[in-house]
Amino acid sequence: MLNRRTLLGASAGAAALSFPVFAFGQAQATDKRLLVVILRGGMDGLSAVPAVGDPAFASLRGRLALPRTLALDDTFAMHPSLPKMHGLYRAGELLPIHACATAYRERSHFDAQNVLETGASAPFARTEGWLNKALGALPRARPEMGMALSAQAPLILRGATPVATWSPSGLPDVNADTMSRLLSLYEARDPALANALESAMSANTVAMESGADDMSGRAGRNIVPMAQIAARFLKDDSGPIAAVMETTGWDTHANQGVEQGALARNLTQLDSGLDAFKTEMGAEWRNTVVIIATEFGRTAAPNGAGGTDHGTGAVAFLAGGAVQGGRVLADWPGLSSGALYEGRDLRPTTDLRAVFKGVLADHMRISAAALERDAFPESASIRATRDLVRA
Amino acid sequence: MPDMHLAALAAHRFGFGPRPGELRLIAGDPRGWVKSQLGRQPTLPPAIAALPSAEEDLWAFGRWLVRRRMNGANAERVEDRAERQGITQDELRRLSIEDEFVENFRERVVRAITARIDAAIASEQPVHERLVHFWSNHFTVSTAKPAAIALPPSFEKDAIRPHVGGRFADMLMASTKHPGMIVYLDNWLSVGPNSQAAQNPRRARRVPGGGRASDINENLAREVLELHTLGVNGGYTQGDVQALAAIITGWTYERPRLRELVRENGGDRNGAALFEFDAAAHEPGPKTLLNRTYAQTGVAQGEAALGDLARHASTARFVATKLCRHYIADTPPAPAVARVERAFRDSDGDLRVIMETLVDSREAWETPFAKFKRPEEYAISLLRAANVRELPSNGSVAALTTMGQRPYAAPGPDGWADSAEAWLTADLVWKRLEFAQAYGERVGRADVDPVQLGEQCLGPLMSDETRTAIQRAESPAQGFALLFGAPEMQRR
Repeated sequence: MLNRRTLLGASAGAAALSFPVFAFGQAQATDKRLLVVILRGGMDGLSAVPAVGDPAFASLRGRLALPRTLALDDTFAMHPSLPKMHGLYRAGELLPIHACATAYRERSHFDAQNVLETGASAPFARTEGWLNKALGALPRARPEMGMALSAQAPLILRGATPVATWSPSGLPDVNADTMSRLLSLYEARDPALANALESAMSANTVAMESGADDMSGRAGRNIVPMAQIAARFLKDDSGPIAAVMETTGWDTHANQGVEQGALARNLTQLDSGLDAFKTEMGAEWRNTVVIIATEFGRTAAPNGAGGTDHGTGAVAFLAGGAVQGGRVLADWPGLSSGALYEGRDLRPTTDLRAVFKGVLADHMRISAAALERDAFPESASIRATRDLVRA
Repeated sequence: MPDMHLAALAAHRFGFGPRPGELRLIAGDPRGWVKSQLGRQPTLPPAIAALPSAEEDLWAFGRWLVRRRMNGANAERVEDRAERQGITQDELRRLSIEDEFVENFRERVVRAITARIDAAIASEQPVHERLVHFWSNHFTVSTAKPAAIALPPSFEKDAIRPHVGGRFADMLMASTKHPGMIVYLDNWLSVGPNSQAAQNPRRARRVPGGGRASDINENLAREVLELHTLGVNGGYTQGDVQALAAIITGWTYERPRLRELVRENGGDRNGAALFEFDAAAHEPGPKTLLNRTYAQTGVAQGEAALGDLARHASTARFVATKLCRHYIADTPPAPAVARVERAFRDSDGDLRVIMETLVDSREAWETPFAKFKRPEEYAISLLRAANVRELPSNGSVAALTTMGQRPYAAPGPDGWADSAEAWLTADLVWKRLEFAQAYGERVGRADVDPVQLGEQCLGPLMSDETRTAIQRAESPAQGFALLFGAPEMQRR
């Protein structure tokens, strides 16, 4: 029997098994690339990017105030578990965005993630993701313009624009002939299954070439190999121009730790994942923007269990060779008790849609009209942030 | 007049697909076959009855923690090595508690997953088992949270199973009082700010890793409103979340004491028996939830509030919509939802009556293949079709994980998604086919012809194209793989 590698090797000359790249040859793909990393659960922004220069910071944070940080500017610093990202900041390739939020002002994960990913002003107002809509506004130069590094496309990538999905497998390799027979059966009976199978065959070609078939079962909690695969897909000549990765475990209600602990481990993962992605992108890093965002921030003060609860103002990051970084983007509201939102959360002063629109407009060159009409309807009053990327 | 078409629909849509030969038994009265399984089941499936009790699981967790602390020699060796490598005591302690605990309990969880699948594969009441899976997903307790890793199986056994076919209000109460839910959504850490415990912090409960809980935790209250009863658009506010959180402060469970653990005579009490109301942590005074004031004291306050939530009009609509989405279509037909919703209200949340109304709906028997089976359901239906009696031990649980749906491990308290959009993706379809092929080979026995097996599993639902593809297979193993991968087996 054939394994997947021989299947895909053999398929190079067989149109039935290979992706119909030729059909999309006319449209010229942009050389810009975008990776979106969603931190699910609500990252504690005041731990990741503490406002150590704010006079209220130390007393407000109490036992969660970091004794040692990596300096950014007079007001802000970074968690010691983010050394690589701190290096990017110093190289001008990282832009932390503080006190930011979606349009959502309550505290449900599911609602907040829904708003983060649909770009709408209220939860469950739309069923398609803003990245899917934005990619739909570009000339369709690739069979699948977007890709999810997960078994299912997250909401941000769902919609009419075809997207691919890929994740590592621990199951035995498949028989090429069986798959091609099933594809014929699906083509006759079930177009949705046919599209999915065809797309999976194509994604596996790229993954095989990057040696990803060796990762079975090891992906687990380590985002480094996934970040490397994401880079391989984004670099591939017929691959997606935007990809989405997700990490979980940011919902630190109890015992989140300070310099060490659950949150620090998550930050270390994020830091090494981004570093591995940069290395793997190589020369293409200069054409790349990485958006790292979470659904909401957490309460400014610790709770009674050594953790933080669902809050509002959050931290996001832009990273990449195309990013005009080396500064913190924040209209800082302050942490005095009068400044806090509802007396408990960091007050949001930057709308994340402004940041997303800025990246899509200036980096991906998506027209303002398409952004207002498709990706972020009803956001005309939220102006795209300029100067996020290098000219 | 036997109706094989309705029999196949009944078996796949309401059960886990037929075992060979079962369709003929159903065909005499497909609706009656479904309805006969909608009431409460007096006995547990043997695989489930054999699982450890909630108390035993909690004690195993407690003993393991104690053993770790007392294991001096080992601890010293590890600590020496840690010191040489510049790892702090604190770091070491946290790492080992989380990671080794998860490692230690993996085997226990795999046994419980196997029991759940075995019960579904072997069941002659597959409609009932499907309902158990539905409700266990509605009230999700997940191993994805390390502190709750031991608890989802006993939660399902104690809080869900006895009430499938019973009353929604009873299931809601049992769920909210079970240690599994209380740990999963942090209510054991919730302390009223004006309670005795908050006034005297030494009385407050210790939290993992040191320190003591001293504040209200809204997690359980929020999910009861958003996910278990009214639904996210059910008409409640953040103020209602806070009110319900205050109402259920003190709802916790009896945690084993060191002396009991040392004796090692494992407990056999279920989750309901372990519920404990800690008056010292309860926020005193009346509270107002959804414009109604609850003046009761103690545990009665929360019981009254949950009783009202279970009967709320939004709950009827939310549950009816979810049931119709699960059994009929991703976008459930409005008339069916309306009938089920009315049945919920008129029967005061009688789950048997509610399901009978759904089964009697015309829409439930139309549009075959409207639903794409979720991975766990798909795997179970293949194993039943293959006439397997037990989940093959070699890597099957890992296969379910790879297919995207490790049982008891839903990513969040909203449970597993229930629409094709979430599951019919390139990557997951590929993995289902890897599974189909692996099991096609495993069951490729000489005594059954794949076309015959297709007829036994699908009856008239099998398409001509699928039949032809199987007939043309180069080997029986490939024939089984094509049958298992066919659209008619992936959908229902």
